[in-house]
Amino acid sequence: MSADTKIAELLTELHQLIKQTQEERSRSEHNLLNIQKTHERMQTENKTSPYYRTKLRGLYTTAKADAEAECSILRHSLDKIAEIKSLLEERRIAAKMAGVYSDSDPPRKTMRRGVLMTLLQQSAMTLPLWIGKPGESPPPLCGAIPASGDYVAKQGDKVAARVKAVDGDEQWILAEVVSYNHSTNKYEVDDIDEEGKERHTLSRRRIIPLPQWKANPETDPDALFSKDQLVLALYPQTTCFYRALIHTPPHRPQDDYSVLFEDTSYADGYSPPLNVAQRYVVACKENKKK
Amino acid sequence: MSDPATQALQPRLQAQASGSAGTGASTAGPGTTSSDPVRPGLSQQQRASQKKAQVRAFPRAKKLEKLGVFSACKASDTCKCNGWKNPNPPSATRMDLQQQAASLSEPCRSCGHALADHVSHLENVSEDEINRLLGMVVDVENLFMSVHKEEDTDTKQVYFYLFKLLRKCILQMSQPVVEGSLGSPPFERPNIEQGVLNFVQYKFSHLAPKERQTMFELSKMFLICLNYWKLETPTQYRQRTQKDDATAYKLDYTRWLCYCHVPQSNDSLPRYETTQVFGRNLLKSIFTVTRRQLLEKFRVEKDKLLPEKRTLILTHFPKFLSMLEEEIYGENSPIWEADFTMPASDSAQIGHQTASPASGSPALSKCLNSTSSLVSSDTGGIEPITGDKRKLPEALTLEDAKRIRVMGDIPMELVNEVMMTITDPAAMLGPETNLLTPNAARDETARLEERRGIIEFHVIGNSLSQKSNKKILMWLVGLQNVFSHQLPRMPKEYITRLVFDPKHKTLALIKDGRVIGGICFRMFPTQGFTEIVFCAVTSNEQVKGYGTHLMNHLKEYHIKHNILYFLTYADEYAIGYFKKQGFSKDIKVPKSRYLGYIKDYEGATLMECELNPRIPYTELSHIIKRQKEIIKKLIERKQSQIRKVYPGLTCFKEGVRQIPVESIPGIRETGWKPTNKDKGKEVKDPDVLYNMLKNLLAQIKTHPDAWPFMEPVKKSEAPDYYEVIRFPIDLKTMTEKLKNRYYVTKKLFIADLQRIISNCREYNPPDSEYCKCANTLEKFFYFKLKDGGLIEK
Repeated sequence: MSADTKIAELLTELHQLIKQTQEERSRSEHNLLNIQKTHERMQTENKTSPYYRTKLRGLYTTAKADAEAECSILRHSLDKIAEIKSLLEERRIAAKMAGVYSDSDPPRKTMRRGVLMTLLQQSAMTLPLWIGKPGESPPPLCGAIPASGDYVAKQGDKVAARVKAVDGDEQWILAEVVSYNHSTNKYEVDDIDEEGKERHTLSRRRIIPLPQWKANPETDPDALFSKDQLVLALYPQTTCFYRALIHTPPHRPQDDYSVLFEDTSYADGYSPPLNVAQRYVVACKENKKK
Repeated sequence: MSDPATQALQPRLQAQASGSAGTGASTAGPGTTSSDPVRPGLSQQQRASQKKAQVRAFPRAKKLEKLGVFSACKASDTCKCNGWKNPNPPSATRMDLQQQAASLSEPCRSCGHALADHVSHLENVSEDEINRLLGMVVDVENLFMSVHKEEDTDTKQVYFYLFKLLRKCILQMSQPVVEGSLGSPPFERPNIEQGVLNFVQYKFSHLAPKERQTMFELSKMFLICLNYWKLETPTQYRQRTQKDDATAYKLDYTRWLCYCHVPQSNDSLPRYETTQVFGRNLLKSIFTVTRRQLLEKFRVEKDKLLPEKRTLILTHFPKFLSMLEEEIYGENSPIWEADFTMPASDSAQIGHQTASPASGSPALSKCLNSTSSLVSSDTGGIEPITGDKRKLPEALTLEDAKRIRVMGDIPMELVNEVMMTITDPAAMLGPETNLLTPNAARDETARLEERRGIIEFHVIGNSLSQKSNKKILMWLVGLQNVFSHQLPRMPKEYITRLVFDPKHKTLALIKDGRVIGGICFRMFPTQGFTEIVFCAVTSNEQVKGYGTHLMNHLKEYHIKHNILYFLTYADEYAIGYFKKQGFSKDIKVPKSRYLGYIKDYEGATLMECELNPRIPYTELSHIIKRQKEIIKKLIERKQSQIRKVYPGLTCFKEGVRQIPVESIPGIRETGWKPTNKDKGKEVKDPDVLYNMLKNLLAQIKTHPDAWPFMEPVKKSEAPDYYEVIRFPIDLKTMTEKLKNRYYVTKKLFIADLQRIISNCREYNPPDSEYCKCANTLEKFFYFKLKDGGLIEK
């Protein structure tokens, strides 16, 4: 089955699920209204009779079941979305590989930088929000939580990569993983900026995988960097990471971090606060000054 | 004054006025006194706008008092009082200077009702509208003075009419419209400008381009002079001509006063250019006397003219005017025909394309620019002040645009039909995803953001003569910060000095009330160019198309102000940006015009951009996108009509690199025609040409410096050669092409030879061995080409 038909199918399923969600909602609404009314009646009568107690218990049980049913449909929908995204990603990688290996004569039209920047912003915006079950703690690569020590980034994953520039300076760039060699423990990565068009072979110390989920500040504030923490953040409208201090963490799921970049051209050594999405903020490994 | 645009306008008017001081009296005819408030003396216009700015900066109470004087009493239906009169009239000092504003409860001297009763209608009126009304108040006051001073009865009458009209408009808060039997502009078709430009086409298109350009410049100068010329009064006209058509002239004179002359200093009234709303009849009435005055003026001021222009004006202009006179008074002159076109097909358009009759105001603005080059800078020349209210009647432009359509052009109906399909949302495929298309125009996002109000553009500047408002000052500080952060090699003090210099202005890009970028520039109206001083966008807002959109706004601003050249010293990082914005290192402005004016930077490259007044720059990429869509649709239509499939060309597989277009099967059926420019001079017999070229190629190949070009460059020797050079060519390939009878014209052959040289220069450093060979070889083959009579000696 081709990826296209598969995606079309998944989209139809997703559509169904969304409809179901609405049905679930309408149903549980009736129940919730009942609960509210019962409470009101109890209040007016000013006593908790066993009758009400039993009635309420029953109502709450149903409401809980309803909520769980709705929740499971929503999770199911999220899975579908993730599946669609991964199919799209596979297709993109396949197209890229095809492009790389057929060294055809007319050079591929490079993307205008402005378009690349928009794509990067969109990718940050559509990064999925991690939604755990009650009591479940966020996994690695959610928000500020680093990958485990033995984690290997997959092909197509975006990473911060420390590369040596032509002038010998070290720089953290936004890159995409091409492959990982298990015997040498080295990554091959591509500079995301097509103008650079360079492929780098780097040891795993020089790679920081980017978060794969956004952390929800309302439920998992611990999975976010906190104020004044030193991080590497993508400078707006560029493809390079620089050292920065967290100015304010996000307050809502769609919010960005506000960070202060280290910048000697300002009197206090830091830029004014700039917004950077969760997707492009990672822990700063190095402790010594560059 | 909250509107930054008004703020920005102020220093400009002053700068312009001072730049062209001394012009007013010279352009106006005899008998003009500069103290006459309605005559277009520059000081007059300047004074009016200063006065307006002053009045508009009043506190609200003072503004109301001023308007109250012109507002009817609304205390009761029976009160007939039509303007509040101050019970304590100021004795010596003018009431609007330092005096305290009258309180709203102050009773009127004539009807006894309070000031509040007179201005009650202004309570919920916006500040902008109040300011508009105040502008009219100033104009009314000036007109009152004019009525008072004017001695000519006809003129006096018109001034009085306009005075009453504006008073009524303040009373009713309406827009002034000149009514009555005058009709509305344009009064004649074709207009003078078209006629004169037709004349240049008609009489001089046979000349060599340079001379043609001269005549074109003279015509432009003539048109500007007319626009700022003061016409003689009907009484003077009657005395001079002794003719009985004085009534017709009086009508034209009245129209001219109402629509062209008075609005020059009185901006409450819509303004039109004399040469655009009048035609042959007016020109007939005024030409003799105007010509005399013009020539006299140039004779008197000849010492102030630039030496290289002096001869031009003194020798060519009289002749030019005599020839024009023949066409104005002659019986059957074709230049006044509505659909004038050049009889000969090879009549090249004159000079800039803007000369075409359709261009309307752009042609005029173009000529303003070149006129300034005719006259030396110390006099300020004939460069007139132009208000920014150059409104053309819409209908005129549209109709003319249709008229100059090219022969064989697609009919308008078809274009409209295609337009319908591309603008019809139902006919479009899917939603617009312009943010993601890799070929979206660079400035597309910025344009959308401006439309949605996310970003704003304002031209601002500091002023020493009046207090700038706080917002403007804050923005200037913001600009200074952006520039000094983005241009770390410029000393901060230097940036500050220029940004706050009242002669410099800055186009500021504002987002969320903060400055995120800008272009600091200095206009030199007398020199006909503007210097771009600093240009930057703050780093975290870059790559969003803001830089392009900024420059496009700056271009439009300059077209409005008749400056059509940008010059700048670009450092190595900025060259790329300026190239994308249409700048080039090829400088067309003569050095004498900018030397000593522009700031020179060491190690920077001088770059220039010529503006075309017909291009709406901020919409350009959008228009081109549209045009592409239209052409695509037209091609699709044509394809579906022809529906014939030819077998593909095979000659390319056999090693031929290029074939003449006309030999492609079916191409003629599509309506394609070869350009027959070179046909005349071409060697007739193909065999003769073939042998000549064969001979020549053999000689070139035996030249001692031909060795690098004998064969195609090998990828093993220069791995990136084919990435750099898009059209490789070499002597071996040329020999093959010759054998394949590709070179059916000498032009094709010479083009390939030249490409060998230019490819070499592009790929290799200039002092390399290869380039030296290329230089010698180039000289050699041009010598041979001349020798063989293939190019002119």
